[in-house]
Amino acid sequence: MGQDVASNEAPLSGPEVGPEAVIRSAERSDPDMVRGHARQRLVSMIAGPIWVGASVLVMRFWFRYRIADVRRVRATYRRIRAESKGPLLVCANHLTMVDSFLIAWALGSGFYWLTHPDELPWNTPERTNFGRTRFQRLLIFIAKCIPITRGGAREDVGDVLERVKYLVARGETACIFPEAGRSRTGRVEETAAAWGVGRIVGAVPGCRVLCVYQRGRRQATWGDWPEPGDTVDVSLACIEPKSDVRGVRRSRDLAQQIVRQLMRMEEEYCDARK
Amino acid sequence: MDRAEVMDRVVKILTPWVKDEAALAKVSMETNILEDLKVNSARLVDVVIAFEDDFDIEIADEDVDKVNTVGDAVNLIAGKL
Repeated sequence: MGQDVASNEAPLSGPEVGPEAVIRSAERSDPDMVRGHARQRLVSMIAGPIWVGASVLVMRFWFRYRIADVRRVRATYRRIRAESKGPLLVCANHLTMVDSFLIAWALGSGFYWLTHPDELPWNTPERTNFGRTRFQRLLIFIAKCIPITRGGAREDVGDVLERVKYLVARGETACIFPEAGRSRTGRVEETAAAWGVGRIVGAVPGCRVLCVYQRGRRQATWGDWPEPGDTVDVSLACIEPKSDVRGVRRSRDLAQQIVRQLMRMEEEYCDARK
Repeated sequence: MDRAEVMDRVVKILTPWVKDEAALAKVSMETNILEDLKVNSARLVDVVIAFEDDFDIEIADEDVDKVNTVGDAVNLIAGKL
């Protein structure tokens, strides 16, 4: 299975302000969040050799996963990265609880992430799945996670989105699943598009979106993790969503563009597997 | 338009997304849209867009962060009319 790469090289459409304005605004309005983010980033970086190394070892030798044509996937990712130093958000389809780890492993080796720590995506796992015990909370703190309670108080969700906007504007990366949860049908669904991802993209000028379609060859539908020994196919496409509408409608429009791109990648994946 | 009228229209707009009919029957300003009425959080955006269309107003992303209850929605809309 090859990696289908589409790169939409739309020029930055003259935003009135750059990502720096998002950073300055966050520094002014929420200095506690900015300090907390700096603290977690530092801890994750220092502990990187342990948790990044352990994650790779578990995926490779415990679960015996394999990324199909991994060198090509990583070369494509590095090329997309080299095309622009602007903000980049990773958006992927969501089938298992280890998707974030698989995506990071597909995009770069453990050594790559240790030498490019700010490119290693932050994640927003569901708090009820990953933040139940003190130990889990410690692990997700170290592993660049910002837990979110889906369907929780709107202000809490808004705080997480503000932090992701801030870190993406800073040139760090986050991995977001636009469908919000794992797809219960096993397929990418436009109606499942959560608008939060559109809100991030709409708020950070020049933000590109790296769409990642990934699926284990034995992954018929959603689950906790791919079958041990499975080979995971990964395809990448970089887009820069744009919208002429405003407000909440704009966020939904941007989110739908991302989900439609993932749907196209899924179609290509299914066609190639026939 | 007074708040009671806004409330009636808000409840009417919310109805197609409500999964807990019993909670809808005793809806009040304090009713939580997600927790009590069981509106899917991912669909909240569609509800807000329906508010925009019905009341001919524009709602910013950040405004939605303040909407937890039916009363929050009524106050937000009433403030924009």
